[in-house]
Amino acid sequence: MRPSAACAGASGTGSSSLGREDGRAGLTKAALAAAVGMVLADSSVVVLALPEIYRELDVSVAAVTWVLVAFNLVLAIAAVPAAHAAVRLGPAKLTIAGLIAFAAASLACGLASSIGVLLAARCAQAVGGAAAICASLELLPAATGSERSAARIWAAAGATGAALGPGIGGLLTELVSWQSIFLVQVPMAILLAVPLIGALGAEVRRAPVAAGRPHLPANLALGLISAALAAALFLVVLLLIEGWRLTPIGAAAAVTVMPCAALLAAPLARRVSDVRARAAAGVILVGGGLAGLGLLPDASVVLTFPPQALVGVGLALTLSALTEAALEGRASQAIHGGWTIGARHAGVVVGLLLLTPVFTADLETEREDAEQAGTAALLDARIPPTEKIELANRIADRIREEGDKVPKLGPAFEPLPEDPEERAATLELRGAIEDEVDSAATHAFSRSFLLAATFAAAALLPIGLARRRVEL
Amino acid sequence: MSGSWLVGGSVVASVALAAAYLAAGGASYEPTPVADPCEPREWRSPEGIEETAEQFTLSALDGAACELRVSRETLAVALATDEGRQAFLSEYGVDDAELEAAVHAGLERAVDDAEQAGALSPLVASGLRAFVTNLPVDEAIALINDASELFEDGSGVLDRIGALIP
Repeated sequence: MRPSAACAGASGTGSSSLGREDGRAGLTKAALAAAVGMVLADSSVVVLALPEIYRELDVSVAAVTWVLVAFNLVLAIAAVPAAHAAVRLGPAKLTIAGLIAFAAASLACGLASSIGVLLAARCAQAVGGAAAICASLELLPAATGSERSAARIWAAAGATGAALGPGIGGLLTELVSWQSIFLVQVPMAILLAVPLIGALGAEVRRAPVAAGRPHLPANLALGLISAALAAALFLVVLLLIEGWRLTPIGAAAAVTVMPCAALLAAPLARRVSDVRARAAAGVILVGGGLAGLGLLPDASVVLTFPPQALVGVGLALTLSALTEAALEGRASQAIHGGWTIGARHAGVVVGLLLLTPVFTADLETEREDAEQAGTAALLDARIPPTEKIELANRIADRIREEGDKVPKLGPAFEPLPEDPEERAATLELRGAIEDEVDSAATHAFSRSFLLAATFAAAALLPIGLARRRVEL
Repeated sequence: MSGSWLVGGSVVASVALAAAYLAAGGASYEPTPVADPCEPREWRSPEGIEETAEQFTLSALDGAACELRVSRETLAVALATDEGRQAFLSEYGVDDAELEAAVHAGLERAVDDAEQAGALSPLVASGLRAFVTNLPVDEAIALINDASELFEDGSGVLDRIGALIP
């Protein structure tokens, strides 16, 4: 497939040797893919840091959710205008400008001392990021040799970034601080801009082109599957941390199953040429994985692995297939890439806004049921009344300390009584109450996961329609 | 690999996972039900004043909860603190008079249950019944929360008849 004129211009056509030319193209390709991955990781990177941000900036849960929503919303809105700007002003120029703006905004995020500043900086980050990722799609064909492989790399880099985001964010939050998530991106964004500087000189301004209509079925399916993936990425993390009380680093380790499965499935995606089949298979796997998460039989991290693996494989198959379909034979690539970014992140925002009230309400209902069952277990426990009263007070203190979170009640039972019978009865009571709390927390997420699975199932509709009317 | 194999394999994997989790009880979660406070509840054989007092408290909570049509657990949490009590009154639309009546009914049921279980002799039971019926609401709630004080320290009634507890 013929690379666009801008891409050809951006690639450089000097008298260097073929090897040097290949090396430069490889470096450019790696930098562009990494830039796309980095920006799209930001759509999910803060999810594990939200509890820290919530505590440190002393804001409401609703306000802190906007740290996540604002980025995705602005990215969705800014993507198409940024793509038009890339075509008009030059993709290399806009990619570099976007990366520098992204770096500056990331610095502001890392230094933010109030929620207002953080939200404003997140919006600025999304604008810079939108410019960088849309413009990079216009540059990639020259580095990869074809628009098709450029689209595939661009889509795969974005999917990998989004899937790796929560894990990386959790790791940095636990090892350093939530601010470090943003601060490490400052040098990264600047370094990724460096290999593109050489392309600036060869770049020419182009007259605005009529981009044609976006591929509606592919973009609609992308929006729906992204709403489902928002659930997969964000709800799994919330279940692990808020529901099962894992540490951010523990949750980060647990959710690596998804990106690992996505990476392992990438070669499979390349071996199947039928784009429609890949898209449909991916959507089915994402839906199946989400249904599995909604039907977890026990509060066990290991039981989340098979559904996560299905979601990861589905993500690798469907995002690349739908993105390729949306870009296939369409010019300019940046503008149609902008539409896919807009559709995906609008889907993420809709998914978050629809599912958050559902699981928040379910969590409250389950908390009340668990409180009743836990109180019943305590009242009926065969431990001395004086011990029971002390224990009730310690449990009440724990619940107060944990606020709106699902409480970690284990410490309330310490120290255990020395008398063997009392000790056994206390351990039995602790097990009963913790099981009740864990089961209630797990169940609180079920409806949201199943609802998200229906978003995935709904994505089959535009894919099926495309079969009859439009080539997908 | 052909597209149809990929789609077929995806369907099989998804259905197999959902079926396995369903078979393992994935959709059968129900919170542990709490007992109906209006139903009689077994009295364990108390081994002393402290355990008798505990059974007395539980019976009283059952009786009061039954009157108010709430669970024993809800009432236990509500009566544990003043804030909890006020929140309960407002959430369930219960006024002070209804709460007082329920608390007295609960204490009377506790005395009845203790007598039926053989934990109190008929003589002690009738004396205690007369005593709890006339307790002001705050003292009645305090008695429900910690009946051991009444049993151990005496309150003018049980101090004299405590020795009769089997």
